[in-house]
Amino acid sequence: MNYTTNDISAISNPAADIPGLIKDNGIHSSLYTDPNIFALEMDKIFQECWVFVGHLSEVPKRGDYIRRHIGCEPVLMFRTGDATATVLTNRCTHRGNLLCQEEKGRRRAITCQYHGWVFNLDGDLVDRPFSGGYCDKGGELDLRKAKVAIYRGFVFATFAKNPVSLEDHLGNGRHALDRASNLSPEGELDLFGGWTKHIFNSNWKMLVENNTDGYHVNHVHDSFARGIQVQYKYENVLKSEEDKLEAFVRDMGDGHAEIEYGQTYSKPLFWFGVEADRFPDYVSSMEAAYGKDEANDILTKGPPHTYIFPNLFIAEVSMVVIQPISAGKSINWNTPLYLKGAPDAVNRRMLRQGEAALGPSAFLLADDAVIGDRQWRALHGSPGWLDLSRGESRETVAADGTITSHYSDETPNRGFWRHYRTLFS
Amino acid sequence: MNETVSVISDDEYRKVERFIYKEARFADESRYDEWENLLEDDMIYWIPRGEGDFLPDRDVSILNDNRSRLATRINQLKTGTRHSQEPRSPMRKIISNLMIDRISENEYLAHVNFALFEMQVQSLDEMNIWAGRMEYKLRESEDDLKMFFKKVVLINGDHPVPTIAFII
Repeated sequence: MNYTTNDISAISNPAADIPGLIKDNGIHSSLYTDPNIFALEMDKIFQECWVFVGHLSEVPKRGDYIRRHIGCEPVLMFRTGDATATVLTNRCTHRGNLLCQEEKGRRRAITCQYHGWVFNLDGDLVDRPFSGGYCDKGGELDLRKAKVAIYRGFVFATFAKNPVSLEDHLGNGRHALDRASNLSPEGELDLFGGWTKHIFNSNWKMLVENNTDGYHVNHVHDSFARGIQVQYKYENVLKSEEDKLEAFVRDMGDGHAEIEYGQTYSKPLFWFGVEADRFPDYVSSMEAAYGKDEANDILTKGPPHTYIFPNLFIAEVSMVVIQPISAGKSINWNTPLYLKGAPDAVNRRMLRQGEAALGPSAFLLADDAVIGDRQWRALHGSPGWLDLSRGESRETVAADGTITSHYSDETPNRGFWRHYRTLFS
Repeated sequence: MNETVSVISDDEYRKVERFIYKEARFADESRYDEWENLLEDDMIYWIPRGEGDFLPDRDVSILNDNRSRLATRINQLKTGTRHSQEPRSPMRKIISNLMIDRISENEYLAHVNFALFEMQVQSLDEMNIWAGRMEYKLRESEDDLKMFFKKVVLINGDHPVPTIAFII
């Protein structure tokens, strides 16, 4: 981890009382800036919770791997079978050498370049050169393996000894993975577009909160509204008045939250900025797969705008992973939400729309990044309380416990912090 | 390249070189209107994720603008609320290793290396150094050359990079 000198000067409370820093409608800014809190998060959240690592479609063949991080822990995700993957720490158990430097590749086994120790794709130590020098059998020197659970190709992992089930972790958020996958006539995403990696000089939780904050849109993205001809999906949320906004926010519990745009879309593919007859092959393949009524419903409601605690954000036409680097540095990963079995023209439009919104040069995220940087710098030297009260008196609690409120309300962020607090209590 | 097409004359070399220095100056100084005046209607402005066989219609790019999206980008920069370029970054680009090929009787393909020093004044007050190579496709127009393709290959494009909201 790269702490700057400034980070170190912010160490004020080595045994931070995290629950005491979170009120129902406000938080203390040291949650963003204190490197001790960051270290506790890497342990309590990124080691103990289910964390999104990758999608099976990124490792299509047995032996394919990608390099990722779970918090600050370097890991490898290997495809090991039809619907299976392993997630192993990318670090030799002998002397700690990084095992794979390439971002992706294919291996039959993992050989450390330092002393030649060999591990199989399940992480078991299978060979050591000059084995006569060892007395033990080496079983305790297998790679550190995460528990893995996969839902619709989304690979999650945790280092917790006794984790809750992935189903329990996803809770009400699971529907977002269905909603995204169901846009494919084959019911699967196919993430072959690679990732842009955009540096934010702010805390990872600021990226999280911004993703489901509707209040900033008219201000941070004013230049986008004025730079384009406002139409289709942006019509309702840009340049609108408070009482005319139809999109709303939802705290789904367990830290997950979303902005629901579904009812602002009046007809199939409106969210995609086109009429349904633009992609007749796509529509007919969807009708063949799901039946006419359900296909119509899927194509009208469109993709989710949903954050899954702690590091996954399905950003409509893109998928985003938030990687924490240090208290004041994060990486925003972004790949197009490619749909398996959809016509190339549909996926190409997905790509172009995603590039407009997300990435280092995008019309939207470039501005979010600079606001996050400013926010982090302004908070850093003078910690204090921040307000999260917007809309707290006009929320609606549904039978399933989810809480909805006006598009501009801070309901999703309050939900995030409520869950976060339970992890440190 | 067609072998029968003639090599680049010294005059042509100077003309392309002058264009590239002018283009770099307009970009470095955020002179958006003058920069936009250098473009043809079929302009493609592309920042792939670095070297490698990235395909613009398959692999996500850092930036991939056709002419109309580039017009939106410039409109956005001119609104005064493009926070990621307000205030605008002071920048200077060093260009070298110019090599020119002929595409056709009136079109050129130019390659350069570059180093760009950007003072990031929007939030960090720190200097960013950008390095890589660029490809330009230029066409003879009525009175001067115009650009119809610019590809910027960053050496760190497939690694984490800071915001690039300026015209690079």
